[in-house]
Amino acid sequence: MNPFVIVLLVLLGLVLAIGLWYISTMNALRRLEVKVEEADSGIDVALTKRFDALSKLVGATKGYAKHEAELFEKVTKWRKGLPDQLSMEQKQEFQSRLNEVQSGINVAVENYPDLKADKVFINLQNSINEVEEHLQAARRLYNSNVSTINQRIVTFPTSIVAGMIALAKKEFFEADTEKRADVEVSF
Amino acid sequence: MDALKPYQETKKAAEKKILIGGPLAVLAVALFLLVGLNSQVIQILAGIIFLAGVILIIIGSVAFSKMVRTFKTTFLKEKIGEWVENGVYEPNRGLALNEVYQCEFMRHADRFHAEDYIRGSLDGVQFEMCDIKLEERRVEHTKNGTRTYYVPFFTGQFYAVDFNKNFNGALQVLETERPRSKRPFKKIKMESVKFNKIYKTYTTNDHTAFYLITPQMMERMMKIEQDHPGNIGFAFIDNKMYLAIDNNRSLLEVQMFRPLDERRIEAFKDDFKLIQDVIHELKLNQNIFKEIA
Repeated sequence: MNPFVIVLLVLLGLVLAIGLWYISTMNALRRLEVKVEEADSGIDVALTKRFDALSKLVGATKGYAKHEAELFEKVTKWRKGLPDQLSMEQKQEFQSRLNEVQSGINVAVENYPDLKADKVFINLQNSINEVEEHLQAARRLYNSNVSTINQRIVTFPTSIVAGMIALAKKEFFEADTEKRADVEVSF
Repeated sequence: MDALKPYQETKKAAEKKILIGGPLAVLAVALFLLVGLNSQVIQILAGIIFLAGVILIIIGSVAFSKMVRTFKTTFLKEKIGEWVENGVYEPNRGLALNEVYQCEFMRHADRFHAEDYIRGSLDGVQFEMCDIKLEERRVEHTKNGTRTYYVPFFTGQFYAVDFNKNFNGALQVLETERPRSKRPFKKIKMESVKFNKIYKTYTTNDHTAFYLITPQMMERMMKIEQDHPGNIGFAFIDNKMYLAIDNNRSLLEVQMFRPLDERRIEAFKDDFKLIQDVIHELKLNQNIFKEIA
């Protein structure tokens, strides 16, 4: 066979292999991106549930924790829940505000053993605790997915494809550990 | 312990018979091979001695088995009632095979055996457990024909524990690979590299895996794996936690020529350590996992 044809075939093979690798890597990165987006919406769902549960708790403890009720009304920027298209930083801020209100209520009701023993209050606390667990699970799942995609984005040769499709590193959802400890409900 | 005495005596008598019968049979064979080949009288004598030996072994073994049955159905039954709240012990039955398959990580068996069924609760957590043995059939084609035999692939204990936490989908945490199933399980990685090295996590819902396996739960699962030799598998499906440990041993077994004393009874009590550890380490005794009345 003509050496020129051989070189041409080898070159064509190389281009084809690179093309296939590019497509598969791009698809893998897109899939990971979708997983991050899904986990992100999981956080939104959990935050909304937490907001709803906390609204009920604030309503039930209004008479005992007036300050917290006011705080909830004033401080919570998004009184009707979580708006769409929030940045991760804004979501973290939203969570911090909810934590503040929750820990305030926990401290306030310490002085009211009757309220603490009330079945409705206990149920509300239990549901808040469950919602909080879901929020933490959503946060961990999101961070795990972000960690995976970020590793791929910075690792050579995947970083080349990530750069070509303008895929940037994703932001982690940081846990506000101090505040999180405050809202833990003891059993 | 006075209550043990009758069993110890029966056991001793049965073992004595076997101890006499065994050497007698050996002696008969030796006699036949060494001096009996040319003498019909010696052959008859060896035959009689052999028969006597075998009869003694059979009588001893039957007496031993009978003693074990009585020991389990009376003495152990009572003890388990003390060790486990509302404890029910049925030595001759176990969980059904379809109950074992509920965990969805057990390979399908060609032959199944279950015994030493126990039901009760520890710290208010309901559980069921039993010894199980799963075997697969192998067929070997040789010049002399076809030979079918069974090879055990799981010998250990199976537990079904109440797990009253609402979650979507199913989750499995296993030391080994899982078999294929209809449910679309997928392998996921948790945050802990150490945990991922020990266990493989399979779930139908990523969120459920992260919801049920908290970082603390991961630590405790690793501790359970460290404290209990054998291959461990956990499954969380429909308000139940299934636990299987392939440790090649059988619980609550009385062995011949091994003392049946208080230490042995304590060892039987230790057989509940795994389920106790699981309930305590995974904090299943906390209200969040218990059924709300």
